[in-house]
Amino acid sequence: MDIIVNLDVMMAKRKISAGELAEKIGITPANLSILKNNKAKAIRFSTLIALCNELECQPGDLLEFRRESLEH
Amino acid sequence: MKWNQNQSIRLSQAFILLFSGILLAVDLSALWLAQWFIQFSMALSDSLHYRLLLITLYGGSIFAWILLYSLWKLLHNMKQSIVFDPANIQLLRWTGWACFGGALLCLASSFYYLPFIIITIAAAFVGLIVRIVKNVFVVAESMKNELDYTV
Repeated sequence: MDIIVNLDVMMAKRKISAGELAEKIGITPANLSILKNNKAKAIRFSTLIALCNELECQPGDLLEFRRESLEH
Repeated sequence: MKWNQNQSIRLSQAFILLFSGILLAVDLSALWLAQWFIQFSMALSDSLHYRLLLITLYGGSIFAWILLYSLWKLLHNMKQSIVFDPANIQLLRWTGWACFGGALLCLASSFYYLPFIIITIAAAFVGLIVRIVKNVFVVAESMKNELDYTV
């Protein structure tokens, strides 16, 4: 079971680069990369709020629950 | 003078060097030390005891070098701010096993010289403390990982 972060999809829709988004929401590009590549173990509400605000979306647009794990 | 973390680590490293010096001196003079101890002791007397004492000294020295090397590497890592890390957990594991190894050796040695049982208990107890510290480091490392990957 996994939570998939569909950040790439929303970033493409809003036409915003990773560096730009990281700067706007106040996290490092490295941390944004951890999030994008589904390596994060947890996300703060403050980060989620900042992402939803910047990408003009809902948390459900960014986070998806999947029963099958990414790693097999 | 304000005492800081780096100075504390350097002091610990200095003690490790001091113990290493003492251990090296013991290794180099083990033959004479054992001879002197046999003469001094009332419980040990013959050439068999002399040989057994040498085995205990040199065997114990191996565990002591492992212990000192592990502690040195641990302090070196701490100086570089590498604390709750798998490498340090492994070093603590070796330290614990070195203590238990020394305890086992002293337990065997107590069969020919009973006072070694005191060192057995002390070494085993220190080994237990190190094991518990290692357990703490394992939990801390997993908590640190959790935090490092919290965005």
